[in-house]
Amino acid sequence: MSKVNDKRFLPEGKYLMMGNVAMAEGAIAAGLKFFGGYPITPSTEVIEHLAKRMPEVGGCCMQMEDELASINAVMGASLVGAKAMTATSGPGLALMSETISFAANLEIPFVFCDVQRNGPGNGFVTDPHHNDIGLIRFAGNGEFGVIALAPINCQELFDLTIMAFNFAETYRCPTFIISDAYLGHIHEVVSIPKKEEILDKVIKREITDDCDTTYTYTYLDKGTNQLITPKPFIMGTEYCARNIVQQPHGPQGFPVTPSKAIDFIKGIIDKINNNKDKICLTDEYQLDDAEIVIVAYGLPVRAAYRSVDLAREEGIKVGVFRLITVWPFPDEKVKNAIKNAKAIIVPELNYMGVIAEQVERVTDPGTPVIRIPKVCLFHHPDDILKVIMEVAK
Amino acid sequence: MNRYEIRISGFGGQGVITLSKMITMASSIYENLAATQTEAYSAAARGGRCWAEVVVDLDRDTKQIDYPKALIPYDFLIVLSEESAKDIKRDSLKTGDNTGYLIWDPSTIKKFRLAQKFKSLRIPVQRMALEKFGDTVYGNSILFGAFTALSKIFSEEAAIETIRNFVPKATLEKNLEAFELGKVEAEYFLKELEGEKK
Repeated sequence: MSKVNDKRFLPEGKYLMMGNVAMAEGAIAAGLKFFGGYPITPSTEVIEHLAKRMPEVGGCCMQMEDELASINAVMGASLVGAKAMTATSGPGLALMSETISFAANLEIPFVFCDVQRNGPGNGFVTDPHHNDIGLIRFAGNGEFGVIALAPINCQELFDLTIMAFNFAETYRCPTFIISDAYLGHIHEVVSIPKKEEILDKVIKREITDDCDTTYTYTYLDKGTNQLITPKPFIMGTEYCARNIVQQPHGPQGFPVTPSKAIDFIKGIIDKINNNKDKICLTDEYQLDDAEIVIVAYGLPVRAAYRSVDLAREEGIKVGVFRLITVWPFPDEKVKNAIKNAKAIIVPELNYMGVIAEQVERVTDPGTPVIRIPKVCLFHHPDDILKVIMEVAK
Repeated sequence: MNRYEIRISGFGGQGVITLSKMITMASSIYENLAATQTEAYSAAARGGRCWAEVVVDLDRDTKQIDYPKALIPYDFLIVLSEESAKDIKRDSLKTGDNTGYLIWDPSTIKKFRLAQKFKSLRIPVQRMALEKFGDTVYGNSILFGAFTALSKIFSEEAAIETIRNFVPKATLEKNLEAFELGKVEAEYFLKELEGEKK
């Protein structure tokens, strides 16, 4: 496992890559050892590329018989110490949610790439639609926390996938990369850094051998009153016996009584919420003097950048606050970014406005939150510009 | 920020997407400009109405293209099928100097009256490729040559490196010849344009 295969790292340089391929390469650079998946439009290129690359890096890419088998294979691989991932689209996510919930319970780290397409049901399979944002937040029965990152270009699909693996290793929760049919098929240059630079960033999966003193699962450190998530355990080693039970359990894996279940639930939710300062990545553009703030994530951000440039030419003070991490929702950071805004615009590639609702939740009553919903079609800069102009009147 | 908007349209299988990738590679990898390519992603790419767009930022300081799709009016249009020619409108292309070019293929488009309104270069790509090189796939390199010479957004060296990268070794010579053919057509056309101006 510690052996580093050189083919894992593409030679340093610039590569023209499709979005889905950049994501797959990011995963390989992060040390992906097992990919289990079932091809589904528009995520197919991920498994297609990994089928070729995984044998080269000494890993395994397995096309299972369906989505249920895929996600269960991913869990199995992760439990025995392989960094594991799957990629699918909305219908696949729906099928896999039972096992995602299982993984959240047992704090099994894995990365989930959701290349979103239109829905509900089958939908227009080749069109983008950010309609899994809600499902990702509540991806299964029960209460648990997740992390979801939303890249906007091919370089970020590579970089943020590495980061997603690191988050998965650190917080041991379901970690999602949110892409879509459009972003997955953009071709752009990806700069691959030196092997050493990547290795510096990557958190490795290692065998811990002090099983007498270390807890298996997240625990409350009595001294500091902090939730600590231990490194992921590896089954099947000669070192320790591990308890794997699917009930509310204590840090050593033994079931707890119903009266103590809340401590367990707190653990798997607050291990993420307490670390929002490290997990919630955001970015801003022209925000310093902005009176109108656009809050966005994913591809609409790029349309928003363009519309901000156009509006600034007209002398309108508008800026973009971008969520790189969509879940957990960065309440404080958003509050801070919109505190001086007289209006907030949320262009979202869905109709319900899942993130718009979150923005409304943290906005002072009286400040309008204007949604720009789109389905299947990608926001044109003029769509956003029109709303900016109306608000600025 | 100085966006150069390119759109290529035709039917799936003509090399629309390959050509767009070649333009993207030449501009971004070899000319160090920011570029983004987007393409038709559906059954259209396999026989239907197919399109691909490339946005290149001619400003060397730009690191990333903001809006990834090409915005109308375009700087450069390549139209390869009757169906896609119908989508072109009077205001589809820019009108300034060194921009607003249209390349179209009379071997696949019978009538394209609107083409006269633009700086349009008529190259029977499919026929030329078949007659000179024995296969329509070389049409791509002809078009790539014409695009390189007309747009001038990347150097000829960048273009040739791209071809080396894209085509199988055995066909490199033929592809370079095809590239040259397209380039010559475009250069001749540019001279004609200059003549008209005078």
